[in-house]
Amino acid sequence: MTASTLSAIGPLVALAVAVLVVMIALAIHRSRGLTFALTLAGLAAAAVTLRHAPMAPAIDAVPLVVFDAAARFYTGLILAATAAIAVLAFGDAEWQGERPEEIDLLLLLAALGSVVLVAAVHFVALFLGLEILSVSLYALIAYPRTHAASLEAGVKYLVLAAGSAAFLLFGMALVYAETGTMAFAGLTMMPSVADATVALAGVGLIVVGIGFKLALVPFHLWTPDVYEGAPAPVAAFIATVSKGAVLALLVRYAAIIDVRSRPSLFMTFAVLAVASMIAGNVLALLQDNVKRLLAYSSIAHLGYLIVAFLASGALASTAIAFYLSAYFVTMIGAFGVVTVLSQERGAGTGSLDEYRGLALRRPWIATVFAAMLLSLAGIPLTAGFVGKLYVTVAAGGAALWTLLVVMMLTSGLGLFYYLRVIVAMFMQPTDSAVATLAAIRVPVAAGLTLAALAVALVWLGVYPEPFIQVIRATVGGG
Amino acid sequence: MLGLLWLVPAVPFAGALVLILAGARLRRTGVAVVGAGSVGVSAIIAALIAIRFVTLPPAEGFFTQRLWTWIRVGGFAPEIALRLDALSLVMVLVVTGVGFLIHLYSTAFMEGDDGYSRFFAYMNLFVGMMLVLLLADDLLLLYLGWEGVGLCSYLLIGFWYRDPVNANAGRKAFIVTRVGDTAMAVGLFLLVTRLGTLDIQGLMQRAVDQWAIGSPLAVAVAALLLAGAVGKSAQLPLQTWLPDAMAGPTPVSALIHAATMVTAGVYLIARTHVLFTLAPSVQLAVAIIGAATLLLAGCSALTQHDIKRVLAYSTISQIGYMFLALGVGAWSAAIFHFMTHAFFKALLFLAAGVVIARMDDEHDMFKMGGLRHDLPVAFWTFLAGAASLAALPLVTAGFYSKDLILVETWSSVLGGPWLWIAGLVGAFLTSIYAFRMVFLTFFGTLQKPPTGRSGWRLHVPLIILAILAVVGGFVELPATLGDRPYFSDFLHAALPAVVNDAARAGAIARLQIVAGLVSIAGIYVAWALFLRHRSLLARLTRPRPARQLHHFWAAGWGFDWLYNVVLVQPFLWFVDVDRRDAIDRVYDGIAWSARAGWRALSATETGRVRTYATGLTLGAIVITAIVIFL
Repeated sequence: MTASTLSAIGPLVALAVAVLVVMIALAIHRSRGLTFALTLAGLAAAAVTLRHAPMAPAIDAVPLVVFDAAARFYTGLILAATAAIAVLAFGDAEWQGERPEEIDLLLLLAALGSVVLVAAVHFVALFLGLEILSVSLYALIAYPRTHAASLEAGVKYLVLAAGSAAFLLFGMALVYAETGTMAFAGLTMMPSVADATVALAGVGLIVVGIGFKLALVPFHLWTPDVYEGAPAPVAAFIATVSKGAVLALLVRYAAIIDVRSRPSLFMTFAVLAVASMIAGNVLALLQDNVKRLLAYSSIAHLGYLIVAFLASGALASTAIAFYLSAYFVTMIGAFGVVTVLSQERGAGTGSLDEYRGLALRRPWIATVFAAMLLSLAGIPLTAGFVGKLYVTVAAGGAALWTLLVVMMLTSGLGLFYYLRVIVAMFMQPTDSAVATLAAIRVPVAAGLTLAALAVALVWLGVYPEPFIQVIRATVGGG
Repeated sequence: MLGLLWLVPAVPFAGALVLILAGARLRRTGVAVVGAGSVGVSAIIAALIAIRFVTLPPAEGFFTQRLWTWIRVGGFAPEIALRLDALSLVMVLVVTGVGFLIHLYSTAFMEGDDGYSRFFAYMNLFVGMMLVLLLADDLLLLYLGWEGVGLCSYLLIGFWYRDPVNANAGRKAFIVTRVGDTAMAVGLFLLVTRLGTLDIQGLMQRAVDQWAIGSPLAVAVAALLLAGAVGKSAQLPLQTWLPDAMAGPTPVSALIHAATMVTAGVYLIARTHVLFTLAPSVQLAVAIIGAATLLLAGCSALTQHDIKRVLAYSTISQIGYMFLALGVGAWSAAIFHFMTHAFFKALLFLAAGVVIARMDDEHDMFKMGGLRHDLPVAFWTFLAGAASLAALPLVTAGFYSKDLILVETWSSVLGGPWLWIAGLVGAFLTSIYAFRMVFLTFFGTLQKPPTGRSGWRLHVPLIILAILAVVGGFVELPATLGDRPYFSDFLHAALPAVVNDAARAGAIARLQIVAGLVSIAGIYVAWALFLRHRSLLARLTRPRPARQLHHFWAAGWGFDWLYNVVLVQPFLWFVDVDRRDAIDRVYDGIAWSARAGWRALSATETGRVRTYATGLTLGAIVITAIVIFL
């Protein structure tokens, strides 16, 4: 273990050290402010090591992870998203009744797992990362112990995630049996299509495990319950960081096994994408709970991302990276609004009725929320539009017409339920909504975060070129 | 200095943003400072840029500021780029300058209104959008500005939305202009797909290279763009929305529906003049539409009682002059008249606004009268504006611009005596109705004394505009009166000069004398009919045909009635009859199946882990099956 090895995996070291430091700090002196500051410092340190780590082609310091340019980009995204979520959670009074300090610890840990995932080049790293992430999430979801809904959500996630992990493990075992290696690079040695049944079955089972994490249909059933039961910032984390890390991993993995040249795998993902786009959007249509609605929306958005993933190629990589970043901004923003509004109202609520009249009582929050929803719907001058345009062009270039048509039609459905929320915000509020809205006090940090996210949203929608350049330089698109 | 160009539209946008987000928390003074100040800053920057542009002209005659490329995907790369040339510079100066005066006026005029910050938010947004429209160097950006001003127009016409009449007027304006906008969008799509770029100058260059004069594509595109211009500029046959648009607050009428937005069509045609040169038949149509509109609207203006509706019809008529000029290839004359018109029409609206406000919201000129002693500032400035509108020879700006149009209509190879006569008759009508307003409102017996007071913020803009309405024409002195065509020379960097027919070019002095006499004759007629011999007027309008004609003109030549009968009623009837047709079933079916799908899929969300685990397992089986058997 030399200095260069350490710096090659700098972000992991920084995050792991931060976890330890926060743990020790908690043991010595319990202070919300202190743990929060240490968490942010840890994330910042990881970002700094990311900058200063030796450039690609990365040294094969360890056989499990490689921080190449793409991994750096996604790591940066994860660190930024975790920081934003930590700030939102800091202002969140939902933790009242619980000692809130461990939240930061668990978020750091989950971020560590996610970073392992995006840098993984080996099945062991994949499983390790996934489990670090999952275990932190169980605790995060069920953190408000006195809320039945949160506990229920935590248990559901635990049971199903464990089940899906079993599929994943079994799939890995099958692949290992055929190829004799656990490194992704070994997958290229996978026998030719004709006699690869066992290995392919293994890959299929790995897809099940990944599909669960991405909440692709038909592995999506847990999503609304967990999003609804989990505290809003945690739901934001599941919707963004957890999914984004797995997707980044999937992109790396697919580049090695070359999905497009294997019709059966291509078909599998196409079916998952179509099912996710249709089911996600249809399920959200008449949904009256904002958290569940966002859950369904996230299922649909992962479907769109899989379309870009299937297009493969340089433009598709750019499209995925941009779409994912835009999706991070909007989802964190949307859940941020839910966070701010669900203060002192328990973890479980979020009914559409509570949003009635928001535009009149809380014009700023309503504006931010409306901007986020419009971006999710893909309206021009928001980040979501540019992302969707890139996905469309990538898919068109790869002649994925069926997928593209489904995407267009289901996006139309999507417009309906996003606008439904916006309409509700502009309606006359009910009496109970007036009372709750009046009681809300927006924490300064959370307010600033929301404002920054809204600015980022418009910035990416109006002037995306610099960010696209960053993506091209790292994720290596064209 | 020229690098600051982006600030010109950006500052009003920033003002709008501040007012939208924080308007409710600002005090009225704060709103006024932000609202009027942002446009004022924009005007100052525009003026500084203009000084730099004139004293040290850029080598190519224009300045392009490429801010950024919005997105670059495939061949689609819309630029956020601004272009400053002689044409856009003149328009920008007028929009920001007159715009600022109107904003200053509004700070006092709208003082008592509940929607004070909302008003300035819309107005700032409008100015920003208008500037985007004028400065855009890219079709998509131009279209953004075009639709943006349409949106603001809608919002401001229906500003007092609690009265359904106002809301309906806003809707009418939006829908009628939409007809033209749709045609224009089709034209823009044609341009982009056929010529393969969004850059306006590049498009014009490629059009010249690829299309022959009179080629079907050029004609189609020019005709479609003309439809857009006709809708926006309220020309025949889409003029019906403008008189109703007077439902908005008076400063709105002055800014949007007189000085700036309604001339966007003129700007569009001037900006794409290359296309119209390639399509001579369409260019002739522009001239004929202009001539017909100026006559029809002039007649209607003669018969209105509501002072704002007179001004509305007058605006339609004056834009008709601009179209006439465009149609005969007198591009810079059209822009010159745009400028002087912006001065005197904004002035007339603002002065009328003072009168209306001081008369307790009385719009009917026949219930006013004798106000010249009680409202001296309004009177003198209104008089200056009316004289300019009537093109009183030698001393008013309107004379120089209208005279230039008439002369060039006569002498241009594309013009001729017929169009000139139409313009001349229009000039006669113009000076009658202009002074009809003056005599009815300010002369005669005092019917009702005005109430209240008006402060400096109302009077200063009036006085400045009155001065401009008088001296604004001296930038372009015709050959017979000193021969100092500074304005045309300046614009010729961006717009070609008119092509004169040698046989008709000699008679300029005689034409000017005729035009001058017609203007004075019109004023005399107005004096005779509406002040001196009111009985003569009564005798003239007593016969049944005369009364019917009056009625017909007052109703805007029955266009509203015609459209109602020909388009609206049949459409409503058809919609009513066709309530349940097959096409509807398709959409109902989609909605129904979406709802059914939602119900079916929602049933899978049981909340039970065992269902979810089953889903997981079934999914695993399906995927394994696909992977193995496919």
